[in-house]
Amino acid sequence: MSSAHSVGVTGSGAAGPRAAAELTDTPAPRTPRGRRRKVREKYSWRESLAGYLFISPWLIGFLTFTVISMTWSLVLSFTDYNLATGSQTPAGLDNYRLVVEDPKVITSLLNTFVFVVLSVPLELVLAMVLALLLNTVRRGSGLFRTLLYLPKMTPAVATAAVFLLLLNGNEGAINAVLELFGIPGPQWLSDPSWVKPSIVVMGLWGVGGSMVLLLAALRNVPRELHEAAAVDGASSSRRFFSITVPMISPTVFFVVVVNTIAALQVFDQAYLLFYRDGNSNAPDAALFYGVYLFQQAFQQFNFGLAAAMAWLLFVIILGITAVQMLVGNRTVHYEGGR
Amino acid sequence: MTATHRPTTLDELHRLRPNPRQQRLRRGLAAGVLGLGLLGTAACNPAAQNPAPAPEEGGTDFASAPTGSLLVSGYNPSDEVAQSRADYAEAQLAEVEISLDTTSFDTQKFAAQAASGDVPDLIRADRNLVATLADQELVQPIDECFAAHQVAPREYFYPATVDDVTYDGAVYGVPEFFQPSALLVNTRVLEQAGVSLEEVSTSDPQAVVELGERLTELDGDNPTRLGFDADIPGSAAMWMTLRGGAVQAPDGRPTLDTPENVETLTWMKELMDAQGGYPSIKSFKDSQDVFGDANPYVADEVAVATWAQWYVNVLSDYADDIELAAVPITDASGQPFAWAGGSAFAIPTAAKNPAAACAWAVEVTSTEAWMAAGEARAATVEEEGSINTGLFTGSPVADQAVREAFVTGSGNEQFDQVIDTYYEVLANPRTRGASAIGEQIGNDLENAVVVTLSGESDPQTALTEAQASSTRAWEQSRAGS
Repeated sequence: MSSAHSVGVTGSGAAGPRAAAELTDTPAPRTPRGRRRKVREKYSWRESLAGYLFISPWLIGFLTFTVISMTWSLVLSFTDYNLATGSQTPAGLDNYRLVVEDPKVITSLLNTFVFVVLSVPLELVLAMVLALLLNTVRRGSGLFRTLLYLPKMTPAVATAAVFLLLLNGNEGAINAVLELFGIPGPQWLSDPSWVKPSIVVMGLWGVGGSMVLLLAALRNVPRELHEAAAVDGASSSRRFFSITVPMISPTVFFVVVVNTIAALQVFDQAYLLFYRDGNSNAPDAALFYGVYLFQQAFQQFNFGLAAAMAWLLFVIILGITAVQMLVGNRTVHYEGGR
Repeated sequence: MTATHRPTTLDELHRLRPNPRQQRLRRGLAAGVLGLGLLGTAACNPAAQNPAPAPEEGGTDFASAPTGSLLVSGYNPSDEVAQSRADYAEAQLAEVEISLDTTSFDTQKFAAQAASGDVPDLIRADRNLVATLADQELVQPIDECFAAHQVAPREYFYPATVDDVTYDGAVYGVPEFFQPSALLVNTRVLEQAGVSLEEVSTSDPQAVVELGERLTELDGDNPTRLGFDADIPGSAAMWMTLRGGAVQAPDGRPTLDTPENVETLTWMKELMDAQGGYPSIKSFKDSQDVFGDANPYVADEVAVATWAQWYVNVLSDYADDIELAAVPITDASGQPFAWAGGSAFAIPTAAKNPAAACAWAVEVTSTEAWMAAGEARAATVEEEGSINTGLFTGSPVADQAVREAFVTGSGNEQFDQVIDTYYEVLANPRTRGASAIGEQIGNDLENAVVVTLSGESDPQTALTEAQASSTRAWEQSRAGS
């Protein structure tokens, strides 16, 4: 600031910077304004370089495992790839045509969309309930937080093994609990109508990730707002919907976007529950887009077709996320403006 | 999401907006990354640079004495049978340094290996996969391998197992194991229900439904005992073949929606509905302790069930707790029928040491290797005081030799009858055969069966849709295009 001030004082003076320095007792700028910008640019470049160096481990991984892989898959999607020789024959849009014409792609996409519609809201609601409960806990909150987050850290294979037992239609614990309330439990794993809900239930096991994010957002809601509203006579539900929800809406929005993307890519839960032993023994009700893509690539070795499927999914995710961003920008409350 | 901050002064705006030089730099970096990506991809794909020579071009000399190193993938010497065979093969290949990747064959892993050009010299995979790998030119024909080692595959192995690994007229695999299916009968349950063993037969489909219903016990809608477990959908292809149908033609194209198959699927639905319905039956079977002390035969949870021969070995540990008999699966004419899958050894096209791979595969499936295994098994049986249920090798020559030498009567009358039955059905071995889309046909068939049994579709519609799906896959394969 002092430097800028001295420039302002001396800039029009004929004596120049040296004279200004003598007058103001401040070090004289060694460069005129144009050169100073270059210095700043140079400094900025050095700063950028340091930044890039710091993130280089991630950057290398990103380039190797994301950029190169995606570029390669885009190339593959326009070719007929021979795995044995590594050769690619240009196929134009044939792979994309096959994808669009394949009824199983439609089936798998519909299955995936149903899963998204079921799992994203359910996970959000459950995560919110748990976060609200934890937010009220004073003693031992760390313990409860850890306990609720632990399932997220459990390997998917172990989770699937447990849920194969829990979801058994005849002997499973979930149906046993339902029976206590007089509710006849369904055949979760063997009735095609209940295949997708069973995968949703298994997915809820990992709700701890969303819960932690929402809990952090809840903790950041200023207490004064609630106190002021309480003084004005607002009920707790009014305070929740008029203060809490708007204040945590950016986090809710983030959770919805991220969970939607993850749900559209669902693979491991379905694969582990229904395709684990090679023979599917599973109805098409469990055929999610990711599973069908995997089958095309690694059962039929149709890598071009699988790559085209991957890019179609990418475009779908991009479109859905764009719509979510559009809606989110209108409905999410950002402090300091949008 | 954190709160966003908008620039409020021109100076701030300048600082936020990249200048043209920065923009050029960024664009240059992006282009470089993409270019490097493509170059890197090409560089990381040796297969793309060095296409594996075709066997006929490479001219592998399968007859020469094998040397060098050999990597075998998918073979796990986890018991005395596998270990003694591996030991025998190793002894025959004294000049070869052998290493085993004991993890099961995985197509995803193999695809990655093939893309990198670094494949094992020999893979052990389900026979169902071999034609698919051959269709992709990922494994090489081994007729010359057999010729060099003076093996006549159709004489030494069961012809049906050779059919499983034959693609476009050439043999691509060395068959291993043929474990036939038969009906394992819980005679204690039969006696309680007043049913004689002679009434257990698959020749009359309607009689099977009636038998299943009669022997089943239900608690509400859920079975507590299965009367006739036909292993559906796992053995759906077997039942369709038994009833005169087929899930694929000899050239591998799918034939799922034939009238015979529709009729068989209709029968499957009747059979399952008579015992509580597919969803309940599946949940019941999923909850059974198949390998443990409370297995279905000890716990009387099953009366009659379709089992491959290996399960007799499991049950032999519980000989004192069960009452068992075996009945052959028979076709409409009463002819016994032995259906089985199994594994095979195949040599990847890009294998570095195909001659050693060929020699090892031939040695490990030789009668001598199986005899060594039979001897090892007999020693284990004697030590543990258990029952020798035999080895079912994929070769009638080896089966006979092992049986004569080591499976000479257990002293347990019921198990001797069971073991004899499994050996007797080998007279009529049948398999699904090879197809470039074998796994896809299997998946489509199982889906059709499940949606039919669950009441979501009818047999004709389900099989028509399955046929359409498999036909699409067939047309995308090299064999079908």
